[in-house]
Amino acid sequence: MGTLLISAVATLVFCAPGYPGGAGDAQPFLDQFAATASAAAGWPAGSLAAVYDPTESGGLAKLASPEAALAFVPYPFFVQHGAELHLIPLVQADMAGIGTTERWTLVAKTGSVTGQASLSGYTVLSVAGYAPDFVRRSILPTWPLAPDVVIEPTGQILSALRRAAAGDHVVALLDQTQAAALPTLPFAAQLTAVMQSNPLPIALVAVVDDRLTAARVRALRAALLTLGHSAAEADTLGQLHLKGFVPPQLPGRAAAR
Amino acid sequence: MIKWMPCALLVLAVAGCTTPRPTAPNRAPSAGSVEELAAAIAADAKRSDLESDARIRGDLAADAGRNADACLAREPRAAACLYGRAIALGLEARAHPTRAGELLKSMLGSLGESEAADPLYDEAGSARVRALVLIRSPGWPLGPGDAEAGLVAARRAAALRPKWPPNLLALAEALAKNGDPSGARENYQHARDAAVALPSGADRDRWLQEAEEALRRPAGH
Repeated sequence: MGTLLISAVATLVFCAPGYPGGAGDAQPFLDQFAATASAAAGWPAGSLAAVYDPTESGGLAKLASPEAALAFVPYPFFVQHGAELHLIPLVQADMAGIGTTERWTLVAKTGSVTGQASLSGYTVLSVAGYAPDFVRRSILPTWPLAPDVVIEPTGQILSALRRAAAGDHVVALLDQTQAAALPTLPFAAQLTAVMQSNPLPIALVAVVDDRLTAARVRALRAALLTLGHSAAEADTLGQLHLKGFVPPQLPGRAAAR
Repeated sequence: MIKWMPCALLVLAVAGCTTPRPTAPNRAPSAGSVEELAAAIAADAKRSDLESDARIRGDLAADAGRNADACLAREPRAAACLYGRAIALGLEARAHPTRAGELLKSMLGSLGESEAADPLYDEAGSARVRALVLIRSPGWPLGPGDAEAGLVAARRAAALRPKWPPNLLALAEALAKNGDPSGARENYQHARDAAVALPSGADRDRWLQEAEEALRRPAGH
């Protein structure tokens, strides 16, 4: 894929499979972010566009288009698709109220799961279930799952937790926000956190292949790392629940890709 | 990752949930009867549904809130006023997305009270609107969305008023959200048939269009 001409409009593709929200709802916030980031980087006005897709397939399709020069994706998406899309990490998101990393928690009916062997025949349900490589390699690197363990995506984690509590052969893999809210559920006493991951990045901005010149990449990276210092920039980031960005600090396997 | 985005990216088309009523005369809220105030709230909801300007939607939400307050001041336990307050809260949630979580929880509380007062009000509107809020809102822990509870409410509305197209549309949407495409399709067909049986009019046409569009979509979409 050739590098985009300096005058071309680059597109930043936001993709967050499994999380609620429609593209139309998100667009004004994305437009504002794109304008703020490109101005901070000294890019020509209007040279960075942004689009959002809440689905894995839709995000992949958008990232396949030649205009897609940047991706803003959850870490599970990066692990699952980073190699095939030639995603090169640019910066790591610092999320308001969470930070730059989060732990994932495997939750099962109390007493039902005592180790990876007892997960045989279970289904792991998670908002990150579309990224089985992420679940197996990043979340559970020391818990090799039996071949008959199924990993499935769900946008309805509450239903998954109900099923687990009711004794179905399912476990729920929760992100940090979900895990923190677990005690608020009326049936929380029937559930137990059986495993917690190491801290993992939450989301990344990545360059897609070599679709930007090195100079533009350098300028954007420098701008993103200082974005949020002014009140207006902080407001723009806040609309996306972002505090700012830090240099990417990926676990070994993903960083090596 | 709409913990990135305000959870409120849940824009609920509340007006689509309510049954149209004659528009109330344009007068100060305190001058209206319960019926007039309820009609004024429904009119605000309908206008809001068609309005793209966020500022005007905010004004309509504020107007609906005032009318709901006036209605409740007259008859605090009337289903019409409790239901009106719920609709007004839904409009406010749409106008002020950053507060949507708390507003939608209050909305569900008001719907529970209105359903307890009169489950048949607005053609089982309390159960129908509850269903739509539960199936369209972000789920736990970001919002009050709960697809399974939404389906229960949708079934209740359809059982109370089985020939009312909006109840059948809500049930179809809830079934689709719960992974039952054939059940959803069956109810879109019922909704279409029920709408065809009604006298012609803008609302009937809208319900018919919604059902037919859903039936034209490939299964699973």
